[in-house]
Amino acid sequence: MPLSREAIVEGLQSIVGPDAVVTDERILIESSVDNFRKLQNIFDVHTMPVPAAIVLPKDTQQVAEILRFADKNLVNVIPRTGATATEGGLESAVADSVIIDGSAMNKVVSIDAYNMQATAQCGVPLQVLEDLAREQGLTTGHSPQSKPVAHMGGLVATRSIGQFSTLYGGIEDMVVGLEAVFPGGQVTRIKNVPRRAAGPDIRHVVIGNEGALCFITEVTVKLFPYFPENNAFLGWTLKDMKTGFEVLRDVMVNGYKPSVARVYDPGDAGLHFSHFTAEDDCVLLFMAEGTAGIAKATVEGIAEIVAQHPECTPVDSAYIETWFNDLCWDASKITAEDERIRQTRNVNRTTEISADWSSINDIYQTAKARILAEIPDITMMGGHSSHSYINGTNMYFNYFFNVVGVGPEEETDKYYLPIIGIICEETLKRGGSIVHHHGIGKARAPWIKDEYGSSYYVLETLKKAFDPNGVMNVGTIFPK
Amino acid sequence: MRILASFKITPDYEALRPADWTADAADGPETRYVRRILNCFDESALELALRLTEALDGHAVAAELGALSIGGPEADGHLKTLQALGYRRTTRVDAGAALDFAPGVSAALIAAFVRRVDRSDLLLLGSRSGPGDSGIVPFLVAERLGWPCLPQVTDVEALPNGRVRATSAADDGLVRATLRLPCVLAVGNAAVSHLRVPTLTQRLACRDRPLDVVGAAALEVDVAAGLLREAGPASLEVIDRSRPGVVVGGATPREKAQALYEEHLKPLLEML
Repeated sequence: MPLSREAIVEGLQSIVGPDAVVTDERILIESSVDNFRKLQNIFDVHTMPVPAAIVLPKDTQQVAEILRFADKNLVNVIPRTGATATEGGLESAVADSVIIDGSAMNKVVSIDAYNMQATAQCGVPLQVLEDLAREQGLTTGHSPQSKPVAHMGGLVATRSIGQFSTLYGGIEDMVVGLEAVFPGGQVTRIKNVPRRAAGPDIRHVVIGNEGALCFITEVTVKLFPYFPENNAFLGWTLKDMKTGFEVLRDVMVNGYKPSVARVYDPGDAGLHFSHFTAEDDCVLLFMAEGTAGIAKATVEGIAEIVAQHPECTPVDSAYIETWFNDLCWDASKITAEDERIRQTRNVNRTTEISADWSSINDIYQTAKARILAEIPDITMMGGHSSHSYINGTNMYFNYFFNVVGVGPEEETDKYYLPIIGIICEETLKRGGSIVHHHGIGKARAPWIKDEYGSSYYVLETLKKAFDPNGVMNVGTIFPK
Repeated sequence: MRILASFKITPDYEALRPADWTADAADGPETRYVRRILNCFDESALELALRLTEALDGHAVAAELGALSIGGPEADGHLKTLQALGYRRTTRVDAGAALDFAPGVSAALIAAFVRRVDRSDLLLLGSRSGPGDSGIVPFLVAERLGWPCLPQVTDVEALPNGRVRATSAADDGLVRATLRLPCVLAVGNAAVSHLRVPTLTQRLACRDRPLDVVGAAALEVDVAAGLLREAGPASLEVIDRSRPGVVVGGATPREKAQALYEEHLKPLLEML
């Protein structure tokens, strides 16, 4: 027989004390969704089951005891830290869930400038770690738009990527070791080493698990020397995305490592660059960094490659630098955007996928055309590629629509999920991945078996092995 | 009823770096490299004008909506957006010169357009267009037209009898005034602060509709002479509004609250 809400709260309080268990009804209601159903919080219309409590452990031992309690009593838990998820991973899919909030575990354990690695508890905001690293002339190299508000545990759990990924990689390239707690309270520490060939890389059981397998308590990431004085920006306008993808490919294949390499389609460029572009312009941009010699060689090499595409017209690099300096989202920007949505019922959503160079333009063109033809009330449909690799790139679809004729709580069913469906279908048809860096969450879980194909066996076996009682974030990654 | 909303496209000052504020004080901050946006007061005026037109339509009062902007082609995208939202008249007055910190010239052009071209009955403008702006353009326009001006308007509504009532903020509360037209409304801190967004279908429907562009000469306004009489900024500096902060320690909210009281509030209370 499932525990009552009262019994769950009592059980948690016995572990962490009453001050570390939140039962305020308003906070619990608002915590029943994340940004996937953000309109429910913006308009205060809620449909998801209300969690029983939010518990804030202060150390790994308490996390272990909470997971032991949850596993024994079959209580669903939702791990979170910064609560910036966008794909429903933090939604309470079942009644009386418990949110384990790691934000109180916020100590920076070490910044080791000699071995070039930093260790932080899960609740350390990335901005805090980055600022401390900068004081020593170092950087984590990780800079997602959510940097001011996202925490280290969540970034690793969702397999995050940052704006400088072409140089530094995604979070999976940065994590050298970590500590996590598995269902039943098993504490696991993966030691920090440069590399090892001692069997499978078990970091990847934890990285990107989205709270469906374990709770991450501590991570160790690489550090890099920071040379902001050498940062250089480059920008061009051009008339079609296909050329943009070709230039990105040429840059990657020739071995250059700009920290930023992006191409924006006309719709998305209109949002950011209308002060120097025409209505039908795409924008191609790069940022080079590193030592003076590396930055200079990167700039020269990229300029040489772009020069082979005469349809690209250079723009003043100050446009790119000024724009880039204002790109991160902080709490005030999020609040302002919520107010804009409240007044206009005009919603901005994004969906990111990846594919090889042969397929990416087809996916972009086909998905965009289908969305414009099949989905009503679209006010902007565009996107950009912002993370490139030797064998392909990502596409970050960026779109706006007006919510018309339905309540705000129905926005996901009428607009958002159908658009996600089109993008996933067109991506899967061409062999791409339906998720580049936001995580599967609950939003894209319906497509997870198609995403994995025969390798779903491996994924499913992980779930069965580590979470046999199914108490870890029900509905996330694995459909309910 | 002919309603006209006048707006100004401004640099996104929020996106400026601190260094840009002092780059070239003689011409104002360096704004070349940031995108252009609708300032928030004008955005309120444009949305309020739309809502008023719809409400008048509901009371069977014929109302035709127009939009005016003074400046270069950077306003054209916004004027096309307004077309898609139902603005019937969309005009840009090309002054042939930058009109930052030039309220007299701006007011002369708006008033001349209203009097000579648009012949509107009700004019809505934002109270100010951005940092450093004088905030006097609505009053100068009203003076030139000989119309009354209601300042700090926060809402506009259509009454069942077809008349228009405006709410404005005063020192000691809100004032509701039923308007006798023509008049100027200077829109202030309205609760309505965002303009609705047209769908791509709405945009497509007016894709080929031209914008009207009027030169200053056609309005018989001598912009060059007017600019000589305007006062520009002599210098600019960033005002440091940061305040020292203290992170209150404690392992639990209770401990933090206790520390906040003991270390910070209690000493202040004892001083009372």
